[in-house]
Amino acid sequence: MNAHDLDTAYTALANATHAVGREQESLFLATLALNLIAQHNDLHNVLNDIAQAQRLAGT
Amino acid sequence: MQLNSHYPIIIAGGGPVGLTCAALLASYGVASLVIEADSSYCSGSRAICVSRRSQEIMGWAGASDALTSKGLPWEGGRSYYRNTEVLHFTMPHDETQRFAPMVNIQQYYIEQFAHEAAGNLATVAWNHRIETVKHSATGAALTVRDADGTVHAITCDWLIACDGGRSTVREQLGLALEGMQYDGKYVIVDIKQATQRATERLAWFDPPSNPGSTILMHRQPDEVWRIDYQIGDDEDPAEATKPENVLPRVQSHLDMMGETAPWTPLWISLYNAKCLTLPRYRYDRVLFAGDAAHMVPIFGVRGLNSGMDDVGNLAWKLAMVLRSLAPESLLDSYSTERVAATHENLAYGAKSTEFMAPPHRGFELMRQAALRLSLENPAVRSLLNPRQSLPVEYVGSALNHGNPVGELRAGMVAPDAPFLEGYLSQHFGKHFTLLHFGAAGQAAHMHRGEQGIASIQVIELPQAAHTLAWQRYGASEGLCALVRPDGYLMALWRSVEAVDLTLAMKACTR
Repeated sequence: MNAHDLDTAYTALANATHAVGREQESLFLATLALNLIAQHNDLHNVLNDIAQAQRLAGT
Repeated sequence: MQLNSHYPIIIAGGGPVGLTCAALLASYGVASLVIEADSSYCSGSRAICVSRRSQEIMGWAGASDALTSKGLPWEGGRSYYRNTEVLHFTMPHDETQRFAPMVNIQQYYIEQFAHEAAGNLATVAWNHRIETVKHSATGAALTVRDADGTVHAITCDWLIACDGGRSTVREQLGLALEGMQYDGKYVIVDIKQATQRATERLAWFDPPSNPGSTILMHRQPDEVWRIDYQIGDDEDPAEATKPENVLPRVQSHLDMMGETAPWTPLWISLYNAKCLTLPRYRYDRVLFAGDAAHMVPIFGVRGLNSGMDDVGNLAWKLAMVLRSLAPESLLDSYSTERVAATHENLAYGAKSTEFMAPPHRGFELMRQAALRLSLENPAVRSLLNPRQSLPVEYVGSALNHGNPVGELRAGMVAPDAPFLEGYLSQHFGKHFTLLHFGAAGQAAHMHRGEQGIASIQVIELPQAAHTLAWQRYGASEGLCALVRPDGYLMALWRSVEAVDLTLAMKACTR
């Protein structure tokens, strides 16, 4: 994905996260993550990404 | 001072935009009266980053030598998350460029240099405050109060409102800026401290010195640092700008950086980002420019620089209209082109602000994610890029003529390149210029007029002697490009035989 498209997706996700509200925020992000994972064809990379996100969330 | 009862041109506001406008008009031989409420140049350094494009415009005004000899050039920056560098960006630059991508300099120097460049053709009425404005199809009538309290009634044929974000002219015309403001607030501090650091844009997100904050730093001439830092939504702005609250935060950050030289505070202010514009910039014979016309977030340095582009666009058109060389309708293109440019600047400014001062929890969460990921994943680091100011293309302008040639389109800024002992851009600014990429002598007959703003000067660029110009224009043999006095491409032709200057100049001439 090029920088422009990444930027567009970043803004869309920020606004959607805001729109669903704090109560639904976690479910929304989990749904999105699962959907993106389902489009991935490499389990090894997916597991690495999950581990990375888990580690960074604790920093 | 003694004021006349009538002036052809009055400029409201003696800030950097108003004084540069006066200097540009003076370069066309046009006199103006500048009315400024303050007693002299601004206090506090305010706008500090001058883009390459603004340096070009100041060059046409006669002020770029002073600007670049005093200013600090820079071409990139670094961003840190906590204390780890996560982005090092550079703007396009090489030794064949006339100007650095950016120059840092205090606003009062910009005002001084523009004022000096304007010379005797600009009269500045310091300590004069515009109180009322009435406008009509033939001009404007003002009342102006001087420092002694005397009220002067003055009329003008044209009023250029460069009187800033709280424009009296705008208020008197019953106009309001449209758009939105962001809640996130930044304290802006200038301090004097010697440093050995390079001049570059420095940004820290959540630094150990001020956890949770965002801090920006720029070097300025005279050993001055500009420090901007974000304050929390729960902080009282009045309290946050008190020296007893500002200085410890600054000290903490300087300690973290290892900047140990003694320092003193010079100026403290508060800022929140705004994306605001008038719907148009021409109302009869009142023309708006700079912050009076639009307010753009500071992130990406589009504020002052868009104001410079406003007056770069306006001055030559107004000079042509004043000399009866062009119909008044040419000034409608000022409004159309610059309003479109503002919308592009606002879009970029909003993007930068959404990262630098997240307007809601969605952006705050995404920023936290992007910063953490940027430590390990270079693919997301572009999200941290400050989107520095770039010239805006005038897509669809009524002045554009001809089809694109390769990557070149009318409405783009004409690329610069070395030429003779200097640069092509030094030959723009005063008149129209026809660039011919081909053998010498083939286009010389298209030269029009001896001098003056409506003349067309021909520059021939044989390939062997001008390879860099050919490269930057993507030229093939025969390419002809007509350049406006503000350095924008106005028309393109694939060959000398195809050139029709009368048709291309139709929108600009009577």
